[in-house]
Formats: sequence, structure tokens, C-alpha cells
Amino acid sequence: MANSWVGELAQRHLDAAYNLGRWLLGNEQDAADAVHDAYVRAARSAHTYAGGNARAWWLAIVRNCCLARLSSRQRDAQVQSIDAPGVAAALPRSADNEVEDRAAAAQSSARIASHLRALPVEFRETLVLREIEDLSYREIADVLEVPIGTVMSRLARGRALLQRALAATEAQELSHGL
Amino acid sequence: MDCKTALALLEPYLDNELDRADARQLEAHVDTCAECAAALTRLGDLRQSLRDQTLRHTAPPELRERIRAAAAGAIPSSAAAPPRTAGRRAMPQWSRLAAACVLAFGAGGVSVHLWNSGQNPAAVQTQVARDLFASHWRALAAATPVDVVSSDRHTVKPWFAGKVAESPLVRDFAEQGFALVGGRLDYVGDERVAVLVYRHGQHVIDVFVAPGAGSALTVEMAEQHGYSLTPARLGDQPAVIVSDMDREERSRFAQIVRSAQ
Repeated sequence: MANSWVGELAQRHLDAAYNLGRWLLGNEQDAADAVHDAYVRAARSAHTYAGGNARAWWLAIVRNCCLARLSSRQRDAQVQSIDAPGVAAALPRSADNEVEDRAAAAQSSARIASHLRALPVEFRETLVLREIEDLSYREIADVLEVPIGTVMSRLARGRALLQRALAATEAQELSHGL
Repeated sequence: MDCKTALALLEPYLDNELDRADARQLEAHVDTCAECAAALTRLGDLRQSLRDQTLRHTAPPELRERIRAAAAGAIPSSAAAPPRTAGRRAMPQWSRLAAACVLAFGAGGVSVHLWNSGQNPAAVQTQVARDLFASHWRALAAATPVDVVSSDRHTVKPWFAGKVAESPLVRDFAEQGFALVGGRLDYVGDERVAVLVYRHGQHVIDVFVAPGAGSALTVEMAEQHGYSLTPARLGDQPAVIVSDMDREERSRFAQIVRSAQ
């Protein structure tokens, strides 16, 4: 069956797909649903895969399914509220966020997680793929469908934003005598 | 190496994307420059905190099981998908999800760029032209218009190997006034193409080289905002020259490119 390789591919890179989904969508249910959507899409369009990096192909589909959810969620949010929230605000802060729970002991992990969540989506996704999933510039460019130059500038900008946010938190804590 | 160059290379260095010669030069600079060394340490610290394993979400077992079940069963067709207005939990899991995905794509205006194309030729033409201009402008706006910086064709050519279906012919035309700056990869339509970058005075010139036979990378002469597309051939591959040179320089460069062996 032509789809069996897609199933294997999805299983092999399921953590990567789910992690990307979590960082894009913020909560467990949406991330899992988006990954499942992506699997269905990938299986249906398996014949369009024309070689190249299969992990990047799969993650590109996952990302598109996540962005589709994100944009419909934002549209719904705009209907409900006139002052439409930004991308960061559209991310629900789910109560069962196990990442921040687990990290409660390690304060610095929690801090970096919350700053990463607060980054605009284009910088967040690029940093997640590079730092957490360890993708090369080429692979990231394939997933995001942008030139490598754009990957580099997003990484640089994202890192600078994170460094600034971390420094600001530190300064704040110092001034509170912590 | 000066600090400006070094600072621009710190991240590619940390990301293992620098070639060995550049990496060595950067290391030599960092050894003697406290400021750049401090910047590298700060980036390293950030890397360290981002590599914290608690930041990586692992897929829940239920999701793994769900994908396994979907792979084992039939793949739902979009025609079988029920409308979204139906109850959230009322229908089988897979069909609800399939519908959600299809609807989200239709309504969300997010286009999936799947590796296929079946549009009409005229639309493809304009799309290709648009992509070429966009790619050129994006590259000009970036800090550097190239992914691999080199005036040495023996560096540029192998860099393309394995990245595009067919590595382009790489020649330096510095003697004729068009110096090879480097190369990059970009997308035109759904094709990944090699781009050779040349410099002529103040002009940056992109030469997009078709990835192989049957490529959609064919355009007619076009102009937009002072930039132009000129179809050409490089070796035995179709190519397109994008630049802001005037007509005379343009045709001279196209001639040089065509006669390259």
C-alpha cells in the first residue's frame, strides 16, 4: 500500500511533529488534532512527494495544518472580540501545560519557555525547528518554504528578541531584590 | 576578519553551517577579540537553555495510536467528510478530523504547497515571473544575497550537489566585469532552483538555473519596478537572469552567460 511509508514516516517523526504543533498551537488537543490532520493530508497526497528530505516534507504539512487551525482560531476570536488579539495572545494558556509544570522546579526553563511562547510565530517556529528539533538551515527552509537567507534572519532576530526578554526579566528580578 | 563580519558569522558558526575555512578564520578572530568572544558566549548560553529537554513536547501515546489506526485503516476521502456544523464528538474521529482539515484549508486562506502543479500555462508563467522578482528582492533585502559566499567556482558547484536535481555550470566572469559572488537555493513555483549570484559595479545579478529537463522555469522577457527578467541558457540548462542593469549591460551579460562552457 502506497500509504504505508507515510505512516512509518509520521511515526518516526511524530515527536517532532507534535512538538512543532504544541509550540505553534499552545495546547495538547489542538496539536494532536493538527498532527492527525497532517497525517491524513500526507497519506492522501503521498503521490505528490517528489523526493528530497522526507522529514521536511512531513513537517511542512504538519506546519500548514497548524497554521490553518491557528488562522481559523484567530478568525473566531475576532468575531467574539473587537480588539483582536495578536498571535501571542491567541495562544490559549492551557491549565494542563505540562511543560511549564515540569519546569516549575527549574525556574530558568520556565522562564525561557514563557519567553519562547511569547515570540511572534515566525520567530518561534524557526527557533523550535533549529534549537529543539535540530534541523539544518536547509531543512528549515524546506519546512517553512522560504529562502535560507530568511531562515538566517529569522533566527538572528528571534535569538536577539529572546536575549532581550531574558535580560529584561533578570533586571526586573534584581530590582525586586530576588 | 573584522568584528562586523565576525558577528554576522557567529550564528551560522554555532549552527554548524559555516564551511571549515570560514570557521577557522572566525575562531582566529574570536581568540583575539573579547567583544566577539562575549557575544559568542551569550549565544552559547541561549543555545544551552533552549536545548533544555523540558522544552520538547513528546507525542502522547494516544496520538501515536491514533496515527497507527489511521494508517492501518482506509484513508478517508474528502467527499465522505461530514460538514463542520455537526456535533464535535458525534462522528467517527477520523472523518471529523478530515473535515476539519479540509474546511480549515478552504476557509483559512492558507494554501498548502504540495509538491505538485496542474495549473494552466499562462498562470504558471506569471507566477514564475512573480517568484523570480520576489526571490531577487528578498535576497537584496537580506544581509547577504547568497547562502554560499565564494568567488571560487570549485566551491560553489559542489555546494549545489545534492541540493538540486542538476548542479548548474558555475563560471566566474570577473574578467568580463561580472564577478561571481556565490550561490543560493530558492523556490520558484514548487521547484527548488540553483541561483548563481554575480556582481557588476553596484548591480547584483541573479542567474536562476532550471533544475532539469521539463522544468517550469521558463519566462519571457519582463520588467517590473526597474528590474528585468532575461531568459538565457547556461551550459545545457535553461536559465533566467534577474537584475536592475540597463538594457545594454543586460544583453551583454546574457551573451556572456550563453557562451559559457
